[in-house]
Amino acid sequence: MPSKKNLSTPSTSTSTTTTTSSSASATAAATATPTNPFTILGGIFKNYSRSTPQRTKLIDAFLGFLVITGVLQFAYCVVAGNYPFNAFLAGFSATVGQFVLTASLRIQSNPANKSEFASVSPERAFADFVFCSIILHLFCTNFIN
Amino acid sequence: MRLQPQLDMASRKAFLLFFVSLFVSWVSAAPLTGGRILAVIEERSDNAKYSQFLMDLRGRGYDVKLESAKKDTLALLEHGEKAWDHVILFPPKSKGYGPALTPQKLLDFTKLGGNILVLTSPSSIPEQIRELARELDIGLPPKDYTVVDHFNYDTVSKSEKHDVILATRPAVSSAVHNCFSGTQDDLIAFRGAGHTLGNGPLLVPILTAPRTAYAYDSKEDFAYAQDPWAAGTQMQLVSAMQARNNARITLVGSVDMFSNEFFNMKVQRPGSTESRKTANKEFCKDIAAWTFGEKGIVKVNAIRHYLSNEPNAPVNPNMYRIKNDVTFEIELSEYNIDRWAPFKVSSGDSLQLEFTMLDPYYRVPLLPASTSSNYTTYTTSFKIPDQHGVFAFRVNYKRPYLTYIDEKYSVTVRHFAHDEYTRSWDISGAWVWIAGIAVTITGWIGFCALWLWSAPVAAKAGLKKTE
Amino acid sequence: MSSMEALLKDESTRNVRRLLKVLILITIAGAAVSSRLFSVIRFESIIHEFDPWFNFRASKYLVKNGFYNFWDWFDDRTWHPLGRVTGGTLYPGLMVTSGAIYHILRMLSMPVDIRNICVLLAPAFSGLTALATYLFTKEMKDESAGLLAAAFIGIAPGYISRSVAGSYDNEAIAIFLLMFTFYLWIKALKDGSAFWGALCALFYFYMVAAWGGYVFITNMIPLHAFVLVLMGRYSPRLYVAYTSWFALGTLGSMQVPFVGFLPIRSSEHMAALGVFGLLQLVGFVEFVRYQVPSRQFKTLLKALIFIVFALSSAILVLLTVSGVIAPWSGRFYSLWDTGYAKIHIPIIASVSEHQPTAWPAFFFDLEMLIWLFPAGIYMCFSTLQDQHVFVIIYGIMASYFAGVMVRLMLTLTPVVCVSAAIALSNILDVYLSIKTPTTPTVGASSADDRKEKKPRVNILSAGKDSIVGIYSKASNIAVIAAFSIYLFVFVLHCTWVTSNAYSSPSVVLASRLPDGSQHIIDDYREAYYWLRKNTPDDAKIMSWWDYGYQIGGMADRTTLVDNNTWNNTHIATVGKAMSSREEVAYPILRQHDVDYVLVIFGGLLGYSGDDINKFLWMIRIAEGVWPDEVKERDFFTPRGEYRVDDAATDTMKNSLMYKMSYYNYQSLFPAGQAQDRVRNAKLPAVGPTLSILDEAFTSENWIVRIYKVKDLDNLGRDHVSAAAFGAGKKKSKKTKAGKGAQRKLRVV
Repeated sequence: MPSKKNLSTPSTSTSTTTTTSSSASATAAATATPTNPFTILGGIFKNYSRSTPQRTKLIDAFLGFLVITGVLQFAYCVVAGNYPFNAFLAGFSATVGQFVLTASLRIQSNPANKSEFASVSPERAFADFVFCSIILHLFCTNFIN
Repeated sequence: MRLQPQLDMASRKAFLLFFVSLFVSWVSAAPLTGGRILAVIEERSDNAKYSQFLMDLRGRGYDVKLESAKKDTLALLEHGEKAWDHVILFPPKSKGYGPALTPQKLLDFTKLGGNILVLTSPSSIPEQIRELARELDIGLPPKDYTVVDHFNYDTVSKSEKHDVILATRPAVSSAVHNCFSGTQDDLIAFRGAGHTLGNGPLLVPILTAPRTAYAYDSKEDFAYAQDPWAAGTQMQLVSAMQARNNARITLVGSVDMFSNEFFNMKVQRPGSTESRKTANKEFCKDIAAWTFGEKGIVKVNAIRHYLSNEPNAPVNPNMYRIKNDVTFEIELSEYNIDRWAPFKVSSGDSLQLEFTMLDPYYRVPLLPASTSSNYTTYTTSFKIPDQHGVFAFRVNYKRPYLTYIDEKYSVTVRHFAHDEYTRSWDISGAWVWIAGIAVTITGWIGFCALWLWSAPVAAKAGLKKTE
Repeated sequence: MSSMEALLKDESTRNVRRLLKVLILITIAGAAVSSRLFSVIRFESIIHEFDPWFNFRASKYLVKNGFYNFWDWFDDRTWHPLGRVTGGTLYPGLMVTSGAIYHILRMLSMPVDIRNICVLLAPAFSGLTALATYLFTKEMKDESAGLLAAAFIGIAPGYISRSVAGSYDNEAIAIFLLMFTFYLWIKALKDGSAFWGALCALFYFYMVAAWGGYVFITNMIPLHAFVLVLMGRYSPRLYVAYTSWFALGTLGSMQVPFVGFLPIRSSEHMAALGVFGLLQLVGFVEFVRYQVPSRQFKTLLKALIFIVFALSSAILVLLTVSGVIAPWSGRFYSLWDTGYAKIHIPIIASVSEHQPTAWPAFFFDLEMLIWLFPAGIYMCFSTLQDQHVFVIIYGIMASYFAGVMVRLMLTLTPVVCVSAAIALSNILDVYLSIKTPTTPTVGASSADDRKEKKPRVNILSAGKDSIVGIYSKASNIAVIAAFSIYLFVFVLHCTWVTSNAYSSPSVVLASRLPDGSQHIIDDYREAYYWLRKNTPDDAKIMSWWDYGYQIGGMADRTTLVDNNTWNNTHIATVGKAMSSREEVAYPILRQHDVDYVLVIFGGLLGYSGDDINKFLWMIRIAEGVWPDEVKERDFFTPRGEYRVDDAATDTMKNSLMYKMSYYNYQSLFPAGQAQDRVRNAKLPAVGPTLSILDEAFTSENWIVRIYKVKDLDNLGRDHVSAAAFGAGKKKSKKTKAGKGAQRKLRVV
């Protein structure tokens, strides 16, 4: 279910307020329109699969993957403790960092935002993304020692 | 006497050289700490009284020179250096010693490592000696105060005053390395003044008065003492101060002890039937030998510390890391009359190593590991605490009758270097997060590949949209 | 503006403009560098003050031992015997920078002494700061404002005070990094580019490695983002810029050993994390809104933001209280409550640069910029774009902090320059342009003139006002003339301040002789050189912490405490030794292996920064640790005066510091005439005696006095009686010969 993934994605990145905020927004979404939430979700999904370019879908898939990785790591941290701390930080922040970078790429490459990013073409955005990611990975592998 | 710890290796080497040369010079018959003795004696005629003692010194290689205190050219120091190695002060007939032997000069002499043997008699304690004693925190009795003992006196000598008292050598103790404990049933004849000691840690009693002895003014002609000046074991007959630089000052209350008369005397305890020869000769020899540094000299031959676990670790590095395992070794020799022998710590005593920064972090016993012909190696191993800083290996071994050993070796204990921490992949707990990074990176590479591969489609889609 | 448009169309004038621009920037950089060389001309090429000496020593170590050894550097020559994990407790950016420059120059076969690199690093970076300010201001308004700002920052005394040649401190490169990071942030925000964001993060990382003041950036950028969100100006660009900066920057900052886990542990960094979370939420909500278009979303969004903000700050407070996150550091508290440090942390309060700023200092350091500054802020309000919000916030925050702490004047200076440049450039725009852009040539000349005018002002040449006279309106002339005069006076003021107030190395003092010629007082170096040449290499020197770095740097001897005041107890120990009687001080000196004690004494010369004047801080710090043994009250007379003359209390007169300062001082004067010129006090006729110390060295003007600690007495006596005996005094007969005298018996 890609739409569900999307709903849950950003909330996990703000780790501490995970459940409350996402449920709040879910209910907010539900109350916004009086109809059955499932039909809304279905509508969203339909809308999504129809109007989203393939690359964006690819990004979304990657985002979902990162969310799962992040959630797993965080869950493990909660269960097993965060020793050694630097490794935990490196691992978790690599995932989070990659997530926000990918999200940035998604925003930048979204045609709807074209006006906002006058100077950033999709190719440029991807190059930026690669640049940032490499820095991120360097920092993380260095930090984990 | 010059056995103070040297901190750096260079001067240590120079020092060993110095010792070697000393050793060589000793073979040519000079004692360890030098053989020049100045004996300050007022009248040449007195020489005969102490000839046995002086002959004995000469026989051991000393060059004893007798001088009068009145002599103008008499000087302890010459151009700021010692003119003599040792001084024996016989009690003067006149009131004092003269300007060459003021207490300040005597202490300056000590400061340079010279040893002083002070002999006094109740009737002749010059003011210089009193002043010196005050600095040493030794209490001297007023003039003519004599020690008597009505239970331990010599019955052979005719004195009715019971003033030739018979003392025994100090008891053998398992904790103290006592050079004066010799044969226990020796009798030592003593006629003179006692003194008391203050609480200074550098003072050591050598011969303590018997329990029943006391001191009183012999000029006041009472049959009994009205008000004894000191009594019992609080009173010392012979005692010494070993200064921090290991120079020794020994104070003897009786000059007669050293006389030929007492050396040859036969004495008898009250109640005893047989008379015996005194042990004065041996005991006075002990006193002189100790004071002039033939006995009780302990020397540090070498100090080594190194990492325990590494066979090729450098010796005496300047730096260790926290939690290193280190071994510390110290080689100790003791000088005994004519040669260096392995030093053995008394059974009731222990040699300890402190690992200290401001306060000791460790205080561990050093145990004898091996003995060679002239030294014993004491050693211990321990783990350096988890605290960085400038630490010192310190062996602080100060015991009565022995020269002080206070060796301090500073080493720096550093923290873990950046590449000495446990690597993450050695900690199983970190594998999860390493996997996390790996997954993220592989995912990213896969994503990039897919992205590039899907490029034309996306472009087309974009085109379509714009169209 | 319209003339500019006209200009843009013309290719050749554009090239001319570009060339001019480059030339002007180079001139500005030249002016910035050369005005900072006053100290070298006036004195010599020498490292200044205190902290730079440590940085210099660290740089030498870096150059000598390489980067990895520097990283693992355990310094056993400071904080004896604790040592200092120097590699892990410093900001290495400065040393690494000069080390890199050193190696690059060597590679270019231009071997330059590391000392000269260190001395000249600050001026060189001030040139770069001018460039960064130009770029930053260009983003705010236009290029002409940028040039003005660059000129201002180049010569503003507020910045010069910290960046003259020889002032080899972290701030020397940090201000450049600060401005450049801000520029990159604005750039990233404007473009919404992850690339600029990443660059911003990289420079942020550099900044973290260079200066503890990086926290300012850590809070400024989130604050800016937060304010933008509150103003309803959230945009995907903000999301991209902020998240890429934060994700990379935070990870980067954690690579610096000294910072370590602080970015997720300490409260100072929480704002950045919080805003990061907030942006995720906002971004998510925007995303959902995009998916489900609905008008109600906007209100919901605001409610949501509010709730989350309240919730997260509650969690933050909870975590701080429960100790998971480190509470705010003391220095930080003193930012909010100026009285805090005085009461709780005397060691922070004792540093003069942590004192609140006096009002004249603002004018002294910024001159006319200080009144142009509000005008510039107003201009920002009038064209309120995202980047202007940043300048406004920056201006407000920096003004507050500069008011609280003298040294934070440094962070205020750039924004003052920027906003003053915006204001001035607006004025010039209005008054310099002709009403109608009739012919491009006139426009060109006016634009050229505008460009030319500024550098002339900057490079000290007289303003060329005659061209202004071409324009008709009298008011134009009047305003322009007025501002030219202002600018001219500004330049004069900056030059004067730089050459007179900020160029003194403080290691070398200058005084004027009656005939007006300069007299150099070089006591510090004389004394440090004496230490270097006359004491064993491993001698331990005790002094008050102010001089620790200098002793380490110039005398190369081990010190007990230094300007890196990381261990309050150790400093208090030194304070206690200084403020106690000799018998109390001696065991402390022995325990710390002290060989020499160094004090600064200004009484002869009237040098007020001496140790007796700092003595109260020593007492206070010692009292903080040993309230029972050191009492500040005992050093004041019953009337509450701090005195050194006859009326001084016994505690004062017996303290080691007092004795060391005035030992033998009376011998300089006729009997009973001894005079302390700093405190204007007539000293007691009989000077203090010292028994545990020997006077080893006193410098020419008595500023530095060094004492050697005596060894234990050879015979185990205390030093007072040993000294008395040595002087030939007879001991009072303690053991009275005679009957019934009480004697102390030996404990067997």
